[in-house]
Amino acid sequence: MDQTQTTITDAPRAVSRLRGVLWDGVLPEGLGLCFVAIILGGFAGAYVAGSYAAQRAVQRETQVIASQLATRVAGTLANLSDAETPDVERHLSLVGGVPNLRDVRWLAADGMLRGAWSPANGAASTTPATHKLCRATAPVQAPDGTALGEVRLALVARPSNALHASLLWNWGMTAGVTLLLFIALYHRLRKHLRPMSAIDRNLRTLATDAEHELNTLMLSASLGQVATGWNTLVEQLNDLRRQIERTEHTIASSDVLARFEGAVFRRVVDRLPFGVMCIDDEARVSYVNDAATALMRKQRDTLLHSSVEDALDEPAVTQALLGVRARGGGGMIVDQTQGEREHETTLRYRVLPLAEQPGSHMALITLEDIGVLRESQRARDNFLYHVTHELRTPLTNIHAYAETLTKPDFDDEQTRKECYNVIVSETRRLSRLVEDILSISQLEVGSARLDAGQVDVQRLLRQTVQDNLGAADEKRIDLTLSLPPKLPKMSGDKQRLAVLFNNLIGNALKYTPQNGEVHVGVTIEDSSLQISVADTGIGIAPEDQEHIFEKFYRASNDAVQMVTGTGLGLALAREVARLHGGDIRLESELGEGSTFTIDLPLPNTELVEGTGQ
Amino acid sequence: MSRILVAEDDPHILRLIAMWLKRNGHDVVEARNGNGARDLVVAETFDVLVTDINMPGLDGIQLIEAVVSTGHIHRGIVVLTNRWDHGEIRERLSQWDVRVIPKPFSPSRLSEVVDKLTAVDTSEAPHEGFVPDQSSLS
Repeated sequence: MDQTQTTITDAPRAVSRLRGVLWDGVLPEGLGLCFVAIILGGFAGAYVAGSYAAQRAVQRETQVIASQLATRVAGTLANLSDAETPDVERHLSLVGGVPNLRDVRWLAADGMLRGAWSPANGAASTTPATHKLCRATAPVQAPDGTALGEVRLALVARPSNALHASLLWNWGMTAGVTLLLFIALYHRLRKHLRPMSAIDRNLRTLATDAEHELNTLMLSASLGQVATGWNTLVEQLNDLRRQIERTEHTIASSDVLARFEGAVFRRVVDRLPFGVMCIDDEARVSYVNDAATALMRKQRDTLLHSSVEDALDEPAVTQALLGVRARGGGGMIVDQTQGEREHETTLRYRVLPLAEQPGSHMALITLEDIGVLRESQRARDNFLYHVTHELRTPLTNIHAYAETLTKPDFDDEQTRKECYNVIVSETRRLSRLVEDILSISQLEVGSARLDAGQVDVQRLLRQTVQDNLGAADEKRIDLTLSLPPKLPKMSGDKQRLAVLFNNLIGNALKYTPQNGEVHVGVTIEDSSLQISVADTGIGIAPEDQEHIFEKFYRASNDAVQMVTGTGLGLALAREVARLHGGDIRLESELGEGSTFTIDLPLPNTELVEGTGQ
Repeated sequence: MSRILVAEDDPHILRLIAMWLKRNGHDVVEARNGNGARDLVVAETFDVLVTDINMPGLDGIQLIEAVVSTGHIHRGIVVLTNRWDHGEIRERLSQWDVRVIPKPFSPSRLSEVVDKLTAVDTSEAPHEGFVPDQSSLS
């Protein structure tokens, strides 16, 4: 403890001391003085009472003596003859030797004074006024029975000096001894009382101290062992208080941190993209986040505090919860499908126990809409299914024709040649198919790289049309190309753009009946290059138009099914267009033909002279 | 000489099957789609029908449905398909007495199956139900 900060207040000022003495009466000095006063006062009172009692006793004794003396004087006077009357005073004087006799008188029967005696005036004057006079009267009767009057005398009830001295001595000794004993006792207690007093005073100061500084309670070391012990106690108390304050501060800090973290985590959980629901020990919903309410299509207020059965309305999940409760440990997954076809949704419930011991209902339930996942899986399965199917077709041809080549029965030149041609063409088909699948996969996942360069679009289009003229001639289709006078070069991947143009022109030729027309036109509008491929083919039904660019999608009508195709051409074409920042539009009418228009953004580049075909 | 109807939309496969079956002395009639094959069965009788499943117009299953009731296929039906692993197709095929040869297939194996069917006396026509051709599956 820092002694410099200790305030020693065991030497109060006179005013406060006096106030302590007079008002509080708890200071040891005040207490001692009070006791001294009580003792002295008590003894003084006792002395007064004793003196009074002694005086009363003397008066009673003097009264008896006075009565006896009056009787004796009356007897003496009755024996006197008339002749001796003049000697009355002599007789009366006989009793003058009685100490404390104040006055003796003989009154005749007729009230006449026959004789009187009194001590000398000096003696009368020395009698203190506080001394009582004891008067006695006795009748004087002659031997013959004749009343000769009465004797009246007065004695002074004077206590003896020895009595006073004895009283004073005894009481004085008793008071002195008592006082000495008290002083000794007080001196002995004072050592203990002063710390108590200081403690009391300091406690009062502490009570009025706004800051409640415990150092206020510290005592001076001069107050002895009690003060030392007390100071140790205060120091320990002070340490404990500081420790508590530190702990409180730490707890408060932790609490703030916990509240902060709790608030952050709460917000995080509130905004999680999948549903979160907490089940308490009474199998009621204690928490549910926004995603969960949205997925379950229920109000939060409806879900909160409701039982699991009411909230989930799904027996399989409730069963899972019971299973988790009974088993403990790992969680369970339940998939719940609602609705049909395009309205079908599948929710995946994951039930995870929150309690470590089995038997508790506390659990966490997460909800996910796995419809998208399922759709994705379905699309992947569908893709694989189509891929394997498409791969099997050329493989079947290659396999069958290769086997044919091995048979001696087909050893003629024409058959061999036919087999070789089919194997080669189907191998090309297979290769092209694999390339298409690879390309579209790369384009879809974004891993495809554009081998960008300056592409002469007019030359590329002309070349593509040229490549397809053979197929057009087979069906006697009029394939034409019209180019503007000047066509800018564009930045792009020549090979992929060639695939794009070829797929569209090839598709147009495939789905256009004999003697039809396919026209490829190019226009420049608002810095975009628009390449249209219009045919007079079978057209595309409105319900097929929105799916026509999907992988492996082929319209279900017979006219389409009659034509071989993988269903990848348009999907690939659109991916290439989009990879170049453009897109493909479709205008079509069933039975009338289709026009596919490629929009490609065109930077400000040089224009190249072009010629129409 | 047995009359064989082959329904197959792939011209190369159709040509090949016809070539192999003709070599074995069968009279082969070719159909490029299901509709054409059905029309032929309705109009004529055949010993064996060899058909693909995935065809434009009437597919192989629909074709079988259409022809079995006519009684114009005397000896049996052979199905060639590259969708033999499709559960629904297997299930639907199982209702008839058909032989299934998965694609890619061996033409010699097909010839053997057709020869076996045409060689069996009609009074002992088997009813084996759906029997995938295990040798071709491998």
